[in-house]
Amino acid sequence: MDRTERLLDLVALLLDATDPIPWAEIRESFREDYGTGSEDAAERKFERDKAELLELGIPIAYVQGDDERRDGYIVDREAYYLPDVQLTPEETAVLYAAGSAALASGAFPGAQDLSHALRKVGFLAGKPVPTPKVRLDLGTADAGPELAGKLEALWAASSARKFVDLAYWSPRSGHTQSRKVDPYGLALRRGIWSLVGYCHLRQGIRTFHVHRIQRLTVNPSKPRSADFEVPKDFSLDRYVASQPWQHSFHDPVPVTVELRNELTALAERLLPGAVIERSDGVALATVTATFIDGLSRYVLALAPNARIVAPAPARERFAEMAKKVLGRHTEVRS
Amino acid sequence: MTEPRNAGPSPVHERLRRLLFLVPFVSRNPGITVEELSRALSMKKEDLLEDLDLLTMVGRPPFQPDDYIDIYVDGDRVYVDLDQRLSAPPRFTAAEATALAAAAELIRPAAGDALSTALAKLEKVLPSGAQRRFREMERKIDAQHEAPPDLGNLTRAILEHKEVEFDYFSPARKQTERRGARPLELFSHRGQWYLNAYCLRSNDRRLFRVDRMQHLEVTDRPFSAEPTPTRGSVPNPVRPTGEVKVRFSKVAAPYVLERFGTSARRLPDDGLEVFVSADQAWVTQWVLSFGGEAEVLEPPAFREAVAQAARALLSDAPSETTVLPPRADAAGGRQETGE
Repeated sequence: MDRTERLLDLVALLLDATDPIPWAEIRESFREDYGTGSEDAAERKFERDKAELLELGIPIAYVQGDDERRDGYIVDREAYYLPDVQLTPEETAVLYAAGSAALASGAFPGAQDLSHALRKVGFLAGKPVPTPKVRLDLGTADAGPELAGKLEALWAASSARKFVDLAYWSPRSGHTQSRKVDPYGLALRRGIWSLVGYCHLRQGIRTFHVHRIQRLTVNPSKPRSADFEVPKDFSLDRYVASQPWQHSFHDPVPVTVELRNELTALAERLLPGAVIERSDGVALATVTATFIDGLSRYVLALAPNARIVAPAPARERFAEMAKKVLGRHTEVRS
Repeated sequence: MTEPRNAGPSPVHERLRRLLFLVPFVSRNPGITVEELSRALSMKKEDLLEDLDLLTMVGRPPFQPDDYIDIYVDGDRVYVDLDQRLSAPPRFTAAEATALAAAAELIRPAAGDALSTALAKLEKVLPSGAQRRFREMERKIDAQHEAPPDLGNLTRAILEHKEVEFDYFSPARKQTERRGARPLELFSHRGQWYLNAYCLRSNDRRLFRVDRMQHLEVTDRPFSAEPTPTRGSVPNPVRPTGEVKVRFSKVAAPYVLERFGTSARRLPDDGLEVFVSADQAWVTQWVLSFGGEAEVLEPPAFREAVAQAARALLSDAPSETTVLPPRADAAGGRQETGE
């Protein structure tokens, strides 16, 4: 019998049963599948089927018998069926908008899981949900099936806690290196997906841009047993930069940016998380930077109404970049 | 690239998941057309018919006629007579709930309280084993998205077909003006939110950057929505027909290639030359954001604008004349989209 068909038959059998069904009876009912070969082989086959059903959310359990009932397998119907959680129309609409925006991006980890989740939300709503008008474009040069495939694979590896072998291209070095990584998780910041995990080469937690992974293999051995544990205090947010000055290149330094004219009022939007002081139409915004070059480039782009004013090394680095820009644009080109 | 191994759930898993949904879905929507059903399940019609065929063979021992699922197509419509207790889909799996919660983060700023309450309701009905797994998996995906608070009101205006008004900073005009628009769609491009709208001043469709709007008001003026509004998109400013020529050093070249694609000419020193189609304000900001690793080659006026901006930064008194708009990141699209 086809495996899909057998698994569905098992679901139908167990959902209908009011009493536990002994293994011997299951074996007898599916003689063609579990009845041939050794007892051991049959049990292993059934165990694999049971694991698949558990993964699908089917609460199959073995119960010890007593005076009243026999030993056997049973599915708790109450625990199986999706109950009516009574979502308000607004709640349904936002869940739909969120899910559709993610799927529209073309690359989202767990996209298949997400599609199923949305179908179930739709089932609960009981009527067509309005098409949401909110979507997400990653806007990266290679957001497409390739990125989606990598995200799916990394998501599967991260969920099952299997290590991955990567061929990783670094724009800084221009080279591709092999890395073995325990994938702790995936994060999206400013349209870019990052993998955060323990890098065996560097012996520490590192962040990788998913679009820079050129090849990827998930450890294929023992798919159901985990290769690593994620440290209890691990948090993705600590390892991914939301802002250009948050990449970890040096120790944290408080850096003050001066904003003038039109930009004074926009200090909070331009430098999220900054401590801001305003006087005489000027805003002084102090951020904690772990990448002064990143901050300098960001502030340069706000010219001429923004500049780094303190501390001295950051101010000098900023001026150095501005001089370089000026130098390039005042040279007479042949 | 090589096809990733173990990419996502297995085909058997996927099919089972679909079939366990299909039966209750048809029970709930008797007489649904094959077309509608294949759309609801995002699958091809042929594959759906194959799934329906398989389902007719599913039943439980002792496999008497009444022990089988009775699902059939009559004309073009699908019905279930015997569902064999598949009357509702299974609960959310931990993976499904995690994916939904992660996606929810994308629009959290736009969604207000409804999102939090919805997710709390869903978490409550996860199977008990899945709750623990969900909390563990939830730590593994973080799609946090910065978004301006106006998103919530704009979403509402789109759904209710109400015109909006807002103050909009226009970099080309170097001023802030009150604008009216019929909002059609919101989208985020590389972390930047845009409103695709029908602009009441230009009587045409325009893109507005949400972070440049202030004092947004949702009016009571209704409008009739286009049945399927054209999707807005942020054009890639780097294109062969662009009139501005920019050179990048070897240091910046890999990042430019990665972000803007391959319509670039590689130079013998491993630098790059690209053509850009954008206004002067945008090009100036863009070039500055490379911190001296980019140079405008032509036209001369654009080149001089960059030099002038750099000079102003190096002088003691900041210039009061040239006011450039705030940029969110070095890699936005054409910025003067609301013009």
